[in-house]
Amino acid sequence: MKDFDVCIIGSGAGGGPVALTLSEAGYSVLVLEKGPWFTEADFFKDELACCRRSVYTPELKDEMHVLEEYDGQNSDGSYKWSSESTLESGSDFWNGNCIGGSSNFMSGYFYRLKPKDFRLRSEFGEINEANVVDWPIDYEAMEPYYTLAETAVGISGKVIPHQYQEPRSTPDFPYPPTIEHAVSGLIDKACRELNMHPLPTPRAILPIAEGDRNGCAYSGFCGSYGCSTGAKGSSRAALLDKAVKTGNCEIRAHAKVYKLVSNQSGQVTNADYFNKDNKKQSVSAKVFVVACQAIETSRLLLASTGPKHPNGLANNSGQVGKNLLFSAGGSGTGEFTYKQFDTELGQAMKQRGPFVNRNLQDWYYIDDKEFGSPAKGGVIDFLFRHPNGISKANREKRDDNGNLVWGKPLKQRLKTVFADTKYLRFEVFNDWLPTDDCFVSLDSSVKDKWGSPVAKIRLGYHDHDLKVGRYLADKSEQVLRQMNASNIRSSVSGSPPPNLVAGGCRFGNDPATSVLNADCQAHDAENLYVTDGSFMPTGGSVPYTWTIYANAFRVADIIKKRL
Amino acid sequence: MRKKFIRKLFRQWDESLPEGLQYRAELRQSRRYFLKAVSIIPAAVLVAGCDNSSSVSTTNASQASLSEQAPWNTFSSVQNHLFPEDTQSPGADDINATGYLKSILELPDFDDADKKFMHDGVGWINDISIEMFKHSFHQLNNSNKEEVLQSIVTSNAGDRWLSLILLYIFEALIADPVYGGNTNKVGWQWLEHIPGFPLPPENKRYYLLK
Repeated sequence: MKDFDVCIIGSGAGGGPVALTLSEAGYSVLVLEKGPWFTEADFFKDELACCRRSVYTPELKDEMHVLEEYDGQNSDGSYKWSSESTLESGSDFWNGNCIGGSSNFMSGYFYRLKPKDFRLRSEFGEINEANVVDWPIDYEAMEPYYTLAETAVGISGKVIPHQYQEPRSTPDFPYPPTIEHAVSGLIDKACRELNMHPLPTPRAILPIAEGDRNGCAYSGFCGSYGCSTGAKGSSRAALLDKAVKTGNCEIRAHAKVYKLVSNQSGQVTNADYFNKDNKKQSVSAKVFVVACQAIETSRLLLASTGPKHPNGLANNSGQVGKNLLFSAGGSGTGEFTYKQFDTELGQAMKQRGPFVNRNLQDWYYIDDKEFGSPAKGGVIDFLFRHPNGISKANREKRDDNGNLVWGKPLKQRLKTVFADTKYLRFEVFNDWLPTDDCFVSLDSSVKDKWGSPVAKIRLGYHDHDLKVGRYLADKSEQVLRQMNASNIRSSVSGSPPPNLVAGGCRFGNDPATSVLNADCQAHDAENLYVTDGSFMPTGGSVPYTWTIYANAFRVADIIKKRL
Repeated sequence: MRKKFIRKLFRQWDESLPEGLQYRAELRQSRRYFLKAVSIIPAAVLVAGCDNSSSVSTTNASQASLSEQAPWNTFSSVQNHLFPEDTQSPGADDINATGYLKSILELPDFDDADKKFMHDGVGWINDISIEMFKHSFHQLNNSNKEEVLQSIVTSNAGDRWLSLILLYIFEALIADPVYGGNTNKVGWQWLEHIPGFPLPPENKRYYLLK
């Protein structure tokens, strides 16, 4: 007799859909989450809590990563890599560690992948030194679950037909767009003058109350903050709260799973974890679902050796941790002074709260001789600079030469950025090509506070990513120029954004080159599934969260059938 | 084409990173720079800095009384020099910058090594003040203070220490008054900064959440 039908490790966007689907179907579900259980009653617009201290993430002295960076070439031309613990470097690689995971703190820019994203190799061919493959499923298999997520998570938006619009089984979103800022109209005007096609950005934010969740309060402090109203479609607010209400789902916070135990036939039997008092616990289940966010999922599998899994669970082909993905691209900024507008528009520009909600997909596929042969492009998203005051002030303490500024000059700088200027930004999202230089392994010496080896992450990127990113950033700058923004600048680099991570357990039909099959079931552990972003062999050119939600609902249906 | 980029990570991705990540890196990196630099500082000075910190125990001391006690008199003098009051805007005293700094350094969750770093800087700046002008920093006139600060900022360690002092001034200026700075919301009023709502009540301050 097993303790539970299903044990899910991780409570974010990959875990929530499975917990809800299976508990609603009457199965007993246990969710183990490493972090604490915050609710709406704990979330305030407190910059110190959200962004200045390790409240929603572990202390680095307790839990860290080791990052490997490129460090020149050996005499034989191979790359040298230097490694450093994040405790030493301060390059904190954690995202949200609490019930609901980092979906609590997302901005909720929600995009579907497009049909060609499922067959990148077939559509655009090989790229040298990149491990591009087609997915084992097509867009049509995912579409019903993208649609399900719109209702289950609460996605607001408006469908505007355009050349790269992905097929939809419903005509429009279940919720109308959130309220828009005056700048959105200015972006629209500038784009149209440039013969570009601005689109409203779907958001995982409820504009109106639904069930136990309130609508958006338009505080203006959204990304990086936990939502105080429940409007943001976190796994916790949208899915887990409902799962618990079925009476079939138990959630244990402060439960740090350090090993999945497997038996002689290779099946997973138990999840071993530390509870809040750092006491060892063990729980059994028929089916195990791992959704710890890509890096930690690979780490847990690699650490979970067993009689049939000498190199780590589901790692008999050595694929676990390989082909890790981030999101490539960059960002840029342009400035507007309120004085450059007439009084009414100047006042409207000062307003904080309504969303910008604009994106460009004109170059989702690039067909431009100046660029080269046809290639996968990406998405440009427009947004305001984050309104966090302390970080805004902190950016002003150095002059253009990097020297500290103090006294009267510092105070003048502060007054200008706070009271006179609005900063419009763009972010470019394009594919982070999978390569042999970006992967997760276990560090041989650095351990966390429980004595487990930490994840070591090699952070190589492909130069093609920068070429695409630069192309899109140049297009974005055109829009800012057309809007008469000043001081326009942008940065495209191979620096990985730690909050946009996927891959490491790619799904595929060949067990020799993939960890999971098309059902996201481990090739060599039949009662093990992975439902976070780890399954993605290629990442697409959008933030991952909607796809993670959709795929987790898809896999939940598959698990339901086997139970 | 490929470059070392980890250390540039936070600068390059700047605002697109989750806000907290940028900040924690700065704290860590400051400490690292400082630890590399302490070998140039006489050991006796560092010990004195630590001794001074342990002699203060009142957490609710007012800004005025703090400015008379070591090491807070040094912190206060540096803060007021970096962030002076004028007729248009609040200064370090107006936002209780020293009291704020003291209260966060005394929190149990504040990293011991980071705390030592902040206190060690006091010993260091006073050592240089005495060497240059025969007096501790808080006893100097404005132009001598400026000379001392311009001197220490040329070293990596001094730059990073002052950078952190500024950071905590900004926290005292802009964080919610529930944390002890931003007295009567004077920072928000001066900057025309409208905070987000809901604001944190006392029983939900960040160090009570975990």
